[in-house]
Amino acid sequence: MEEMHTRRVLEPIAWILQLISGIFLTVLVTFHFYVTHFVEHNAMEYDKVIGRFTDPAYQVMYVLLLLFVSFHAFNGLRAIILDTNFGAKHARAVNTATFLLFFAVFGYGLVLLFSF
Amino acid sequence: MSWTNWFRISGKSLFGIAFSLHRLTGVVLAIYLCMHLTYLTSLKFGKEFYESLIKTTVSPTFLVFDILLILAGVYHGVNGLRLILHEFGLAYESRRTLLYAAFVLTLVLWFVASYQMYRFVMGV
Amino acid sequence: MGSEVTFRIKRFDGEKSYWQTFKVPVYRGMTVLEGLYYIKENYDGTLAFRASCRMSVCGSCAIKINGKPRLACETQILSLGSSNIDIEPLDNFKVIKDLITDFEGFFKKHEHVKPYIIRKDDNYENPTEILQTPEQLYAYYDFTLCIKCGACYSVCPAAAREDYLGPAAITAAYRFNADSRDGGSEIRYALVCGDNGVWRCHFAAECSEVCPKQIDPAKAVQKMRVKAALHTIKSIFGW
Repeated sequence: MEEMHTRRVLEPIAWILQLISGIFLTVLVTFHFYVTHFVEHNAMEYDKVIGRFTDPAYQVMYVLLLLFVSFHAFNGLRAIILDTNFGAKHARAVNTATFLLFFAVFGYGLVLLFSF
Repeated sequence: MSWTNWFRISGKSLFGIAFSLHRLTGVVLAIYLCMHLTYLTSLKFGKEFYESLIKTTVSPTFLVFDILLILAGVYHGVNGLRLILHEFGLAYESRRTLLYAAFVLTLVLWFVASYQMYRFVMGV
Repeated sequence: MGSEVTFRIKRFDGEKSYWQTFKVPVYRGMTVLEGLYYIKENYDGTLAFRASCRMSVCGSCAIKINGKPRLACETQILSLGSSNIDIEPLDNFKVIKDLITDFEGFFKKHEHVKPYIIRKDDNYENPTEILQTPEQLYAYYDFTLCIKCGACYSVCPAAAREDYLGPAAITAAYRFNADSRDGGSEIRYALVCGDNGVWRCHFAAECSEVCPKQIDPAKAVQKMRVKAALHTIKSIFGW
C-alpha cells in the first residue's frame, strides 16, 4: 500500500535526520551565539545585522541554521505528540501538520533572510 | 496530559528527570524559534524601529529571561549530544558517567554564556 | 526484634481507590512480600496481590514500593531505610483489584514480536544440532533473562501511549534477532517498525534503572532501532 510505504520510510529517515540535525545545530547555534555576543560589541546594530544577512558566507550559514532548526523543532514536536494516545489515533494529521509547519517556518525564514 | 509528567520528580531516576528536562527545554526552544523570527521581522520596518526593540530587549530586565533561555539551550544541546551517542548504540556501559558529565558541562557552558551576555548588556 | 513498620497500601475495590494503613512487625531479612502475606493473614484477608516463586524468577510480584517498581519477594523491608512503606500497583497498567493489574495487553505485545526461533529448515523428523559459539551466545544472552515482570513498562514515558510495544517486547524481539540460530530478523523488523514500535523510544532509560534482572532493555531498544532503521532504508533503496 502506498501510504504505508511512505510512512515506513518516513520514520527511520526522520529519526536519523533528527540526530544529524542535532549534531549540526550544536555547532551552528554555538557559532550564531558566538558571532552575536563574542566578536564585537555592536553586533546587534541594524547595519551589522543587515551586513551579515547580505554576506554570502553568512547567508550559507543562516540557510543551514534555518533548515536544521526548523526541521529539528517541528520533528521534535511531532514525536512528542505521537507519543500520546491522541497522536496514535491521528498520526496522519499530526505528520502532515508538523511537516507543513516546518516548511512554513523555514520558508518564512528564507524569505526574510533574502529580502534585504 | 502526558506533558504534566515532565514536572513530576518522584519515582524517577536522574535519567528520567534528564528526559523530562529535554522535552521541556525542547518545547521552550521551539516557541523561542517562532518568537525570534517574529522579532527579526522588525528589521523590515526600518532601522529606528528595530533599534528601539533592541533597546528594550537587550537590557538588564530582559537579561534574566535571556539567561534562563540560554540555560535551556545549552542543556538541550549537551544532553542531546549524550542522547545521540546512546541512540546510535554507543557508550551504553558508561551511561551514568556521561549523564553526570552532561549536567556538569551544561553548568560550565551556561556560566560562560551568561557571563558573556552580562558583559554585553552592561557594556563592560 | 520488636520493631514495626507501617505499610500504606493503595487499594482498589473495582470502583474507588483508597489508602489503607497496617502496622507490621519486622525482623531482619523480612521481605515486602512476607509483609503482604502477614497483612493478608492477620488483618485483612481481602488484600489482593500476585506472587508465586518467592525467589525473583517468576516476575509475578512486581509492585511500586516507595515510588519505585520492584519485586516484592526480593525487597527486604529494613533495606528500604524507612518505617513507612508505600505500596501501589504498577503504573501504565489497568488495575483490576488492589495490587493486581491487567497484564493481558503486555503479554499480547510480547507475542506480537514472534518471540521464538524461526528457521527455514525446521525438520522435526530429522532434527540436526544447531551449533553456537560462546561469543554468539554472549551477543544476546543478557536479554534472555527477562521474567516479564512489567516493571520496565510501568516506568516508560512512551507507554503513556497505550499501544506502545514497550521495552520488554522490543527487547524480546532483539533477543531473537541477535540469536545466531534465528532466521526471522526481517519479519521482526517489520513488526517493531510501526508507529507503536521502536520510534517511540527516546532513551529516558528508566526501564534499565528498574529492571530486577538488570538486563538493560534500553540498550536492546537502541540496538533494535539502529538495525531496524538501517534495514528499512536499505530495503527502500534495494541495497
